[in-house]
Order: sequence, then C-alpha cells, then structure tokens
Amino acid sequence: MSEEPPTRADGAGETVESGPTPTTAGSRFGRVAVGTWLFRAGVGTVFAFLLAPIVIVAVTSFGDSMVLSLPPETFSTRWYESFLDSSRWQRATRNSLIAAVGTTVLATVAGTTAALGVRNLGGRAEGAVLGLAVLPLLVPGVVLGSSLLVFLGEFGLQQTYLAVIAAHSLWATPLAFSVVRASLSRFDPRLREAALDLGASPTRAFVEVVAPNIRSGLFAAALIAFVVSLQEFVMTLFVSGRDTRTIPVLAWNSLRNSLDPVVSVVSTLLVLVVVLAVVVGSLVVGLERLAADT
Amino acid sequence: MSDVDTAGGVRRVRSVLQAASGGISRTKLLLVPLLLFDLLVFVAPMGYLLRISLAERSVGGGALQRGTWSLDGYQYLSDSSVVTTVFTWTMLFAVVATLLAVGIGTLYAYAAWRASGATRTVLLAGVVMSMFTTLVVKVFAARVMLSPEGVVNDTLLAAGVLDSSLLLVNNEIGVLIGQLYVVLPYTVLAVYSVLTGLDESLVEAANDLGATPVRAVREVVLPHAVPGMAVGGVIAFAWSAGAFAAPLLLGSTSERTVAVEVQNLLSQFNYPAAAALAVVLTTVVLVVLTLGIVLLRRRGGLRDV
Repeated sequence: MSEEPPTRADGAGETVESGPTPTTAGSRFGRVAVGTWLFRAGVGTVFAFLLAPIVIVAVTSFGDSMVLSLPPETFSTRWYESFLDSSRWQRATRNSLIAAVGTTVLATVAGTTAALGVRNLGGRAEGAVLGLAVLPLLVPGVVLGSSLLVFLGEFGLQQTYLAVIAAHSLWATPLAFSVVRASLSRFDPRLREAALDLGASPTRAFVEVVAPNIRSGLFAAALIAFVVSLQEFVMTLFVSGRDTRTIPVLAWNSLRNSLDPVVSVVSTLLVLVVVLAVVVGSLVVGLERLAADT
Repeated sequence: MSDVDTAGGVRRVRSVLQAASGGISRTKLLLVPLLLFDLLVFVAPMGYLLRISLAERSVGGGALQRGTWSLDGYQYLSDSSVVTTVFTWTMLFAVVATLLAVGIGTLYAYAAWRASGATRTVLLAGVVMSMFTTLVVKVFAARVMLSPEGVVNDTLLAAGVLDSSLLLVNNEIGVLIGQLYVVLPYTVLAVYSVLTGLDESLVEAANDLGATPVRAVREVVLPHAVPGMAVGGVIAFAWSAGAFAAPLLLGSTSERTVAVEVQNLLSQFNYPAAAALAVVLTTVVLVVLTLGIVLLRRRGGLRDV
C-alpha cells in the first residue's frame, strides 16, 4: 500500500505499467484473478441457494411415491390429481384468493391515499406518519399475530376473513405506501397544479393527470400487496381458523406431520403464480424499479 | 326531487365537515384511511396486548382475569429459567443471522450492481423470486435439501469432500440457513437500492488509479452502501429476533426462540406471561431499531427508512 502514492503522482492511469517491479505486479494480478473467481463462485452459490427451494418443490411435485425422494425415481402427476380432488386444498386456495384480493384493495387504497397526503405535510408530522406507516413491518409477526388474536377475540372477529385481511394488510400497506411514494417522487407536481389552474377538481386532477403518470407505481403496489398476502404465514397461523386458513397455513399443518407430496404441488402452483406476477410486474414497471422500490 | 335533496344534503354535510375540521385541507384528509387502519389494526391491538401483560392470570379456567392489575406475567418471565435461556439464545441467534445476512447480502447486491444486462436481470430475478416465495415453501425445501440424505450431503459426499454426512437439520446450522432464506432477499434489495444511486464509473476510476478491487469496494462502494446495509440489518434483526417458522421446522427443542415460546405460553392459556414476553421482545427490537436510526443520522446518511 505504501508504494501507491508515488505512482499516483507519477501519472494517471499508468499504475499497471509503473508498478514497483514486474513480478509483484504479476502476482498481484494473479491474486486479483483468484479473488474475482472466488467472488463469482460465492455469488453463484448464493444464487443457487436462493432458487433451490423453487427447483426442489417443482421436481418433487412430479414424484410418484409417498416418500419424497430427490430426484424422484418415477415421474407422475398423481399428486396434482390428489390436489384437485382435495376439498381441503381447494378451500384453502379459495381462502388465499379472497384474502389476497381483499388485502390488495385495502392496502392499495390506504397506501396510495397516504402517499398522496403525506407529501405536503413536511417536518415532524411527515416523520411521524412515515414512522407509523412503516412500524408494523418491523414488529415480529408472532407479536402482531397474538395481539390481533386477543384483540379481535374480544369482538368475536378472530378466525374471520376480516381478521386475515387485516393481518395481511398490516404488512402490505407499508409496502404499497412506499412504492407509491417512490413513484410520486418522480412525478412533477407542477403538472397537477396546472390541471387545478385550468379548473379541474382535485379528484379529476388525480384521475386524469396524477394517476396516469404514476400508473406503474400503483400497479406495482397492488401487485406487491397481492403477493405479500399470498405468502404471509406467521400472522395467518394465529388469526385464521379451519374455515379461513390459507394455503401456507394448510401447508404448514400438513408438514408438521410428515413431508406431504401435495405440499410440493401446491408450492409449485404458488410459485407459478408469483413468477407470473413478477414477469407481468417487470414488463410493466421494469424489474430494477420493482427491486429497488420495495 | 329526492336527487336534488340528496345532492343538497351532501353539499351541506361537506361544508359542515369542512367547517368542523377547521380548515384541515383535503390533502390531510387523505391520511385518514391509513391512520384509521393503523389505529384499529395495529395501535389498539398492541395496546391491548400491553394491558393483558399487566393482568392477573386466572387460576381456574379462562386465560386471564379482566380488570385486574399485576406484574405476575413479567415475574413469571424472570423466574422461568427456560424463558431466560430462550431469550439469550434468540438474541445471539438474531445477531449472527443479521451479520451473515448483511455480509452476504452486500456482496450479492454489489455483484448484481456491477453486472450488466442479462446477468443483472437474472441475479435480481433470483432475489425477487425468493422474496416472493412463501416462508413455508422455503423452510420446507431447506429441510428436504439439508437432511442427511438430502441434496447438499449427497453432492458433498459424491464429490469426496465429506466422509460421512453432515448434520444440517435439527440444530443451529439448520435454523440459521432457514432464517437466511427469510431475510437475505431483503438485505440484498436494501443494499442494491442505495447502490443504484452510485455512479459506476467511480469504481472504474478507483481501479484506474491503481486500487485493487477490494480496496475500491472498501473506499468507494462501502461508504455509499452503509445506509442500505443499516436498513437491511434492522430488518434482518427484527425478523430474526422474531424467528418462528425456521426454528420450529429446522431446529430441535434446544433451538426454541422467543416467538415459539410466546406461542407455547398462549397455548397453555397463560395469556399474561405470553403478552409480557411479546411486549419485551417488541421493546428490544424497537430499541435496536432506534439505535440503528440514531447511528445512521449521526453518519448523516439517512434516506427514508
């Protein structure tokens, strides 16, 4: 390290050639190459690690035996058939969809209105609203789940769809809020003012000027709310009941007993829905924005 | 007729509302849905949980005695050696999981940021897919993968790296790997989102000026990534301190976490103790979160958390 200041002073961009001696320069590049190679291998391993669950459930869902084996000895679609025949799983699928649609509506409306309202607040009030909006994301799911369980229990509302939607929205709303807020920050407020000056009502200005400009943000917010609801598990475990439990909860219950091949089938279908959502999302919004805004 | 009446009524109600709100602008009314929602579904239930933690435990039947005040719940926690052991283990676990998640997440985010075109898309898609896969699927697959006859052991055995299979489930390693599945995508994205604001040519400039890749990262990229790492770290810590699914499915009884213990106490109908433990856990998480924000402010690098 100590030899670097002089080389820098000698001439910009000449460091490679003006290294102390050719041999040390060579070994340094050797080390850099090994380092780069190790770095790539590490990142590749993490990538494989991240996607392995998806591959595993997809492959095991086509197995033929009662016991999960990887790779399966023979392939079949019998577990897909037993999924389609199972009233329990169909009920859970329906519950998941009801919860996801309800959460999408609630979280997108609350998140969007708040993102619009918080803009001109400024100062302390803005900080307080931001804090309150994001806070539920940082409280452990078990705590939120038990608080909802005991609180809603007082009103006999535990195990209802309302309870499940409320729980899911607790996490979906902050995300929808920050996505719409990020999208609004790219919107030029003068456009809205121009619309107001030209005599549009605030509502009309939103529908005709603001909404079209932040359309991709609104879409991403709704999409994220939908997916968050589909995958949420810990809170749902607490607040749902036999008739309202969603796919992840039923999968969890089945797994506590044994590794059930139908869980692989359901997981694969869930993953397919999510892939579809991510593909549609990145076509509309762009993957990088989807990744950066959440 | 009735239409006109209704319209007039609506107008009157609106003007009354505006008068009552004393000049509160329409923009502020936009905050009502969120505030109402958080009040009903977050603040009130959490307040109720706090109240229950201060109630007396019911002796015969029923989960608690309404209207009573007592510190029995908290007393139970400090008296129970199980709870204190579980608490210490959980905090240690959360710290290790957070450090691993931030370290690996930063490396991965850096790789995605430096990559271009298809590679970047693939790396980011991997993270987004994993983030959007339900916890249950990830933990379940981790179990299939890590079991003594699982893919990981098979591969390592076949490659001759190992002589006998490693025990990767029903112990700390399994829980840690499972928890990384939960938090890693978020730390990657938190760091990636701040890196997108950094000009890539700065790294090339550092390289041109003779910095090794490691030094360029340390002096150019890392300072810029700190706010993202802090946000990712806070998320990772909050969720690892509350880890529930990974310990239950990938650990043994000695890897019980606070969250698992809360559920245990609830199922034993010891509501005051369960609520007290939940309150203590939340307090610890929020204190760590506040410390994180304060440190970040001092560095002057706070974006919106």
